[in-house]
Amino acid sequence: MPDFTFATAQYDSGDWDSAPMVPANIIDSVARYTGIDVASVGAIVPLGSRDLFKYPLVYLTGHLPVRFSDAERSTLKEFCARGGLLFIDDHNHDVDGQFHRTAWEEVARAVGPLKDLPNDHALFKAFFRFPDGPPTTSHELNGWGDNLVHKHLQAVLEGDRIAILYSSKDYSSEWNYHPDNKRFLSVDNTKFGVNLVVYALSR
Amino acid sequence: MTTPRERLASARRAFGLAASVRGVGVAGASALAVLLTATLVDALVGMPMPLRRLILPLAVAAGGAALIAEALRRIRPALRASDEALALWFEQRLPSLRYALVTAVDPQVASVPPSIMREVEETPLEPEVRRATRRLLLQPLALLAVVTLALLAAPDGAIARVTAPRAGDALARAGEASRAARDPLATIVVRVVPPGYTGLGATSIDDPSSVTALAGSRIVVEGRGDGVTALLESREIAPAQRDGTWRIAFDVPPRAAGLRLRGPARERVLVVESYADSVPVARLDAPTRDSVLRSARGAVALRADLRDDHGLADAAFEYIVSSGAGETYTFRSGRVGARAFAAGAREGRIEGTLLLDTLRLAPGDLIHLRALARDRNDVSGPGQGASETRTIRIARADEYDSVSVDPMPPTEPEKNALSQRMILLMTTELRDRAPRIGSAAVERESRRLAVEQTKLRKRVGEVIFVRLSEDQGEHAHFAGDGHEHGAEKPLDPDQVLAAAQRAANVDPTRQLEGEGDETPVVAINKPLLEAYNHMWRASTELETANPAGAIPWMQRAIEALQRARAAERIYLRGRPPRVVVDLAKVRGTGREKSAPPAREARAPLDADRAARLARFDALLGSIAADPLAAADSLLLLRLSLPGSDRAAAQALDAAADAVRRGGDVTAALQRARRSLAGAPVRQDGLSPWGR
Repeated sequence: MPDFTFATAQYDSGDWDSAPMVPANIIDSVARYTGIDVASVGAIVPLGSRDLFKYPLVYLTGHLPVRFSDAERSTLKEFCARGGLLFIDDHNHDVDGQFHRTAWEEVARAVGPLKDLPNDHALFKAFFRFPDGPPTTSHELNGWGDNLVHKHLQAVLEGDRIAILYSSKDYSSEWNYHPDNKRFLSVDNTKFGVNLVVYALSR
Repeated sequence: MTTPRERLASARRAFGLAASVRGVGVAGASALAVLLTATLVDALVGMPMPLRRLILPLAVAAGGAALIAEALRRIRPALRASDEALALWFEQRLPSLRYALVTAVDPQVASVPPSIMREVEETPLEPEVRRATRRLLLQPLALLAVVTLALLAAPDGAIARVTAPRAGDALARAGEASRAARDPLATIVVRVVPPGYTGLGATSIDDPSSVTALAGSRIVVEGRGDGVTALLESREIAPAQRDGTWRIAFDVPPRAAGLRLRGPARERVLVVESYADSVPVARLDAPTRDSVLRSARGAVALRADLRDDHGLADAAFEYIVSSGAGETYTFRSGRVGARAFAAGAREGRIEGTLLLDTLRLAPGDLIHLRALARDRNDVSGPGQGASETRTIRIARADEYDSVSVDPMPPTEPEKNALSQRMILLMTTELRDRAPRIGSAAVERESRRLAVEQTKLRKRVGEVIFVRLSEDQGEHAHFAGDGHEHGAEKPLDPDQVLAAAQRAANVDPTRQLEGEGDETPVVAINKPLLEAYNHMWRASTELETANPAGAIPWMQRAIEALQRARAAERIYLRGRPPRVVVDLAKVRGTGREKSAPPAREARAPLDADRAARLARFDALLGSIAADPLAAADSLLLLRLSLPGSDRAAAQALDAAADAVRRGGDVTAALQRARRSLAGAPVRQDGLSPWGR
């Protein structure tokens, strides 16, 4: 069994599978830049399932409103308490969007309120260095969605460790392409994904 | 007999006339001196057009000022001189009078003695008058003659350059012939002859670095001297030679190009660029919006405003009638309100009326309306512009008398839940009435409810069966499809229902949990399977006349049905694609032993811009040594710009002109460099993608 399997959370509401290429892309980057023993294919894990505990990093995205069931809520709370990291990315890149509002409400109900993550947090130095905090996405810079360049990610901390990381930057769109096409980019835009994996495995 | 006063009056008139002529002569000489001076300065340094335009007003002003000065200083005193003053003037020049003239005109002397009168009469005054007049006129008229002669000696056109300056007179500058003998490219004049359809006259440009002309224009480049050859985009153009002037004529090329002029002494580059004639702009003012008409009767007023940069040719309203429905449509088109415009009309308006009755329109037909305008471009056109299209639809008869409502039945689970609630209510009522109605009645009514519950359970089972069958259908295999079919056989409805029942009967007291290996359709059906099971337990209790025991199962069944409703999800994408990353290939550890190509940073997008900046910086050093060559280098750099970078092109043209003219070129070069570098880009908001 590999050390790391990239897992995508499947939840009852919303379109949890809206960015199907992100797992392969992150797996490609982890294999490309690190020596981590990574599974060659991602896993899909129901958020309310206890299988969630098998994965140190779970990725959750979507466009539609997010409503967790009681089972999902309690499993997520236990997942965070056990040391897991849930990375939630708003596929709408829109702070007024339904996903954003409902995801914040659900995270607050399940684990606690999200707060701005300082841009000098250890996450941004976990593997690659991002001295200005989270990298911007082309969707932000093109003014799509809420027409904002979001300065911070948000997080719920368990002690000094990130339990839930929330992004309005739409990495789901930015990274949602086949890894074979990475060769057309002058700069690999998935490097921040490697930081997420390394952070989740090492904290 | 002429009196002394009359003789003095005659002298006064003569002096006044002479002073006036002198004033005019001085004024003329002053004005001509200004023109002469300007001509000489222009011959030496070549005055720019704005300065030359000031010369004629300056000459007139100088002449006027001189005339005023003369009028104040000489004409006015001469005309207003008193008899006494004039008498004293003559006494001073004719001592033989011995104050006889003064005495003769003295108003204090009542009676002049005859001897004095005789003495005055015998002394001629006219010779003095002529002498004085000659002195007065000689100097200014001589000056006027000299200046006039000097101007007449100037070459053809040299004076016109200062008196009536016009674009294209650079070759008429004094001394141009001698300059051209050394360098026939020292001064050139470019004449742009627009295509005939524009009705515009030719324009001339003095000594330009670049020329922009309408597509189809004829460019004529002229200069003094001989020995010039020309190369336009590797095509040699032979110059025509006449009267000491060389002339090159060609059509403006479609893209910016450099005309290389080669003379005996040096080369010179002229950038020639064309711009396209714009198509006419049409704005449909009426009808103002799309409409739906109840019937195809009446008239629709049409009105459109038209504009073109070089002249409209004609315009009309075009309509297309589309009739039909579905995949069968027919079209008819026509024009109304056509109008031709006179040559040179750059703005116009067309008006018309569309008579709906004449179009044989049927309900449901659509009329598409727009205004079309053509220009007179006979070079690359005619250019045709169209307004936005308005649509008029003829309503169908049934559009106004009905409202379309698509009825939709409640979903199957919802219907079942309602029925289940009803059975629950009836069972609860029976439980409450049981002590009063007796055991036989309770048993009879309980069995009746059990029958209802069984019917409902069967309906839920049918829903499950349909769904499971669909799921089966999604994964249906066929012979030869490559799958390992093994013992897989299609299940009949009873088997499917039995399988569903088995799945639901594992432990009816707990909710089914996902096992991770079933299809989404099965996952969605789990609450229904639970409800199915709870209904079975409820019907069993009812059949044994135990309504109180059936109620908890009914409540659980309702709860399960509610979950089934909440679980209704449609995933349009189906299953996400399963992408397997070839880790060995990514890490270069697989069978592919060759070294993967190194990932190199792509050149920045503005690499071309950086290269142009480097060229610009390199040529700065050559400006002092060879400004003309540096100007040509600036023009060649301008030719390498993308067509869209108009600001940089204009800045480089201006810089080339400034360098060619000489003097302080710092400001022009600064502007050119800023334009080449582009607008500053703020980058502090962008973070790098790691290091």
